[in-house]
Amino acid sequence: MHHLYVHIPFCHRVCPYCAFYKHTPGNTQMAAFVDAVVAETRRYRDKMEINLHTVFLGGGTPTALSETHLERLLTELRETLGFEHVTEFTLEANPMTVTAKKAAMMRAQGVTRVSLGVQAWDEPTLKTLGRDHSPAEAAETFAILREAGFPSLNIDLMFSVPGQTMEQWAGSLERALELKPDHISAYNLNYEEDTDFFDKLQRGLFQEAPERDADFFFHALDTLERAGFRHYEISNYARPGHESAHNAAYWFGKDYLGLGPSAVSTQGLTRWKNIADTQRYLDAVQAGLLPQQEAEQLTPDQHQLERIALELRTAQGVPLTRLETVPPQTMATLQSEGFIEISDAHVRLTRQGKTLADSIAGELVG
Amino acid sequence: MSIELTRNFSIIAHIDHGKTTLSDRLLGFTNTITTREAQDQHLDAMDLERERGITIKAHPVCMFYKAKDGKTYKLNLLDTPGHVDFSYEVSRSLAGCEGALLLVDASQGVEAQTVANLNLALGQNLHVIPVINKIDLPAADVDKVKRQLEEILQLPADEAVSASAKMGIGIEDILEAIVRLIPPPTDPGDGVLRASVFDSVFDNYRGVVSYVRIFSGSIQRGMKIQMMSTGQNYEVKDVGVFKPKMVACDKLESGDVGYVIANVKSTADVKIGDTITETRNPAKEPLPGFKEIHPMVFSGIYPVTTDDFESLKAAMGKLQINDSAFTYMAESSVALGFGFRCGFLGLLHMEIVVERLRREFNMDIISTYPSVVYEVKKTDGTELVVDNPSFLPPAGEIEEIREPIVKIFIMIPNENIGDIMNIVMDKRGMLDHTETIDDRRVMLHCVLPLNEILVDFNDKLKSVTRGYGSMDYEHAGYRADELVKMDMLIAGDPVDAFSCIVHRTKAESRGRQLCEKLKEVIPQQLFVVAIQAAIGGKIIARESISALRKNVTAKCYGGDITRKRKLLEKQKEGKKKMKAIGKVNIPQEAFIEVLKTNN
Repeated sequence: MHHLYVHIPFCHRVCPYCAFYKHTPGNTQMAAFVDAVVAETRRYRDKMEINLHTVFLGGGTPTALSETHLERLLTELRETLGFEHVTEFTLEANPMTVTAKKAAMMRAQGVTRVSLGVQAWDEPTLKTLGRDHSPAEAAETFAILREAGFPSLNIDLMFSVPGQTMEQWAGSLERALELKPDHISAYNLNYEEDTDFFDKLQRGLFQEAPERDADFFFHALDTLERAGFRHYEISNYARPGHESAHNAAYWFGKDYLGLGPSAVSTQGLTRWKNIADTQRYLDAVQAGLLPQQEAEQLTPDQHQLERIALELRTAQGVPLTRLETVPPQTMATLQSEGFIEISDAHVRLTRQGKTLADSIAGELVG
Repeated sequence: MSIELTRNFSIIAHIDHGKTTLSDRLLGFTNTITTREAQDQHLDAMDLERERGITIKAHPVCMFYKAKDGKTYKLNLLDTPGHVDFSYEVSRSLAGCEGALLLVDASQGVEAQTVANLNLALGQNLHVIPVINKIDLPAADVDKVKRQLEEILQLPADEAVSASAKMGIGIEDILEAIVRLIPPPTDPGDGVLRASVFDSVFDNYRGVVSYVRIFSGSIQRGMKIQMMSTGQNYEVKDVGVFKPKMVACDKLESGDVGYVIANVKSTADVKIGDTITETRNPAKEPLPGFKEIHPMVFSGIYPVTTDDFESLKAAMGKLQINDSAFTYMAESSVALGFGFRCGFLGLLHMEIVVERLRREFNMDIISTYPSVVYEVKKTDGTELVVDNPSFLPPAGEIEEIREPIVKIFIMIPNENIGDIMNIVMDKRGMLDHTETIDDRRVMLHCVLPLNEILVDFNDKLKSVTRGYGSMDYEHAGYRADELVKMDMLIAGDPVDAFSCIVHRTKAESRGRQLCEKLKEVIPQQLFVVAIQAAIGGKIIARESISALRKNVTAKCYGGDITRKRKLLEKQKEGKKKMKAIGKVNIPQEAFIEVLKTNN
């Protein structure tokens, strides 16, 4: 097992579009939470061979933990699992949750990469997204992180937000580029079930607009490529050498271990998910159990389908060997219509194909 | 009982003019059934019949009435289906009678259906007694109805009986009029068995029960009989009369109405209108009026899920046992898979069959846009009958196409004449003449292609007249017209299921309508999809579906992967249900949406 994910389900404020398991800290005993994650970590250490290459703390907001709790968590993780071979250690952060001191501690603990949830650089879009930081505060946090000397910094941005104009989106991209991040994730807003946004979409207060989505997407693609970023996955752009190795592990079907409430793990064809409820997660761990909630055994077909769907989204593409059962007519049509290109025995999306990855994956798997 | 004391009659009426209530009253007055039984609407009518106030199957019943002249008469009431779809069955029932009661609502007056039904009765030389019903209603206007009887129907108004079946007024007068005015049956006197079959039903325990009127001779258990149209011989197992339940008796004699059960397997072997005779001493000629009935309207019926094909087939078989006018033949459509091409006597018949398949057999089915039967004369002089546009020969081989036409009676308030005439014209109809019914209403006699009234004519009539209009029609043969086959092309490929035969003048609007509908229901594809309507090689309407521009989910990290896969699996599953027309995938729902009757 080379890849570790730890889910920290706390946010000071819950955003109306987010479908990850998260909540405000409320009455949660943070010390107990850290203890539980550590206990879970030990249990897996005794169960499987773990030799980590990448570590990713996501959420929620990992930096919502106080410096003390975060430091203890990072120390315990390192001491329990050994980070000797870790080349990429990412922590997600939100603006205004990292002080210079906290950043220095993180860096000292071996964190190499911070992913900052900026989402937008204009007030109206931030307001729609329910973010509680201002553009200036995001810039301030980014500066703190740069100052702390992390080798790789990512900025998360979001497009096709209700009410967002092309000018605002272009502005967000420009402002992000001015800060010279090493990586930018540009997400098309998805309306996820059980979110306030989804509810508004259902009630007709928000509308989906694939045409606008495509325009925004291509604007990001062009702008970021011009700025020297490589589009290496549907939503991800990096300066050469700064591609996320941890995320690549998901996309290329590597095993990964997930700790913390709601975290998902995959080992071979087995996938399991932790209890998505912090209190019940704590209870389970404290009772000496593995806090798993559900598990599934992938069939070889399902595994194959996931491989195709995820690899298709990457710049590396899908090896032709995976696509031997696709009717030649389908491949020929996709190629002649300019959605895919084939070289080095791999199928890759063309520029035109990139906005239609789901439909094209549908053609290739069925 | 002497044939002189037998009266066979029918009741004809517009829907809701009180036919069922009157028959119940007659049954009650003659003590044939008790009042409590009458609440069940006397016979085991199907739910559908009761719901819609229509009669689908014949319901004969035998009553005894002691008249004021002191004699007891045997009165056979042959209740008949009242809709044009079943006009052949009606004519066979009426042929079993010597007279008919024509029921007219005192407040509504003569309606379109009254005229159509009266024509049928007069066609059988029946003595018609007008009965003005519902005279207790405040809006009743007996004098006006009497004038209508004289003027529109040319019936002697002084013979009319005023009654209220609901209040029990005039019932005895009606019975006396039946006895006095309707002639007794006549018999040729040669003693040879001639019985006319006017309906048949399938009984799970007893097999096929034939409803008969004996015109001469007699029939009894054990007799060897022959169906004259098929030449098949059977042995009579049982005979009896309807009181109204089936009651066995020793024999049925000349003038009688009753049932015959022989070892017949399916109602398809008992043709309505056929003559039963005795094998040993057969009649030389069958009774007049028999004809093979042919469906007038066709529609495809498909199971929603392919797995239901066999159960649908079984259900249709069961229905047909009781309804030999309904025909079905397996067919397959690129769009809808395996199903049946079904033939019906008309629209109501079609609705009834579809409804019964749904309700009584719990079948989840799709019925396609109905079409009529066309007669096609080819350039080489051969003739063929086409009930499915796919089977139409290439345009170059067609000399002419003839379509069925109908005479239609439309009764409407005066102020709607203009609007209705516009609809009639729009439907390629012609006005034959108009008749004034009273100071408020007129009756339009028109001739229209059957095809044009199949779907929405009645709805339009009802909406324009705010429910006051009524219509009925009778078949009036075939007529050649400028009919063409219109194909629908999706991305250049013709799709059989959407082909239709239309009048040249209507092709463009129908084509445009279908293009728009298809554009609406076919989901965006990776490619631009052209939708075209074409006659021969000529495109007469077109639409295009723009290509999908963006369809990609933003994130795919650890926890999202299963969800992503499930979406793809769902997509894959959905694709299995789609039909690939060239490179275009069309969901079955889209076909259904376009092909279903009520779009």
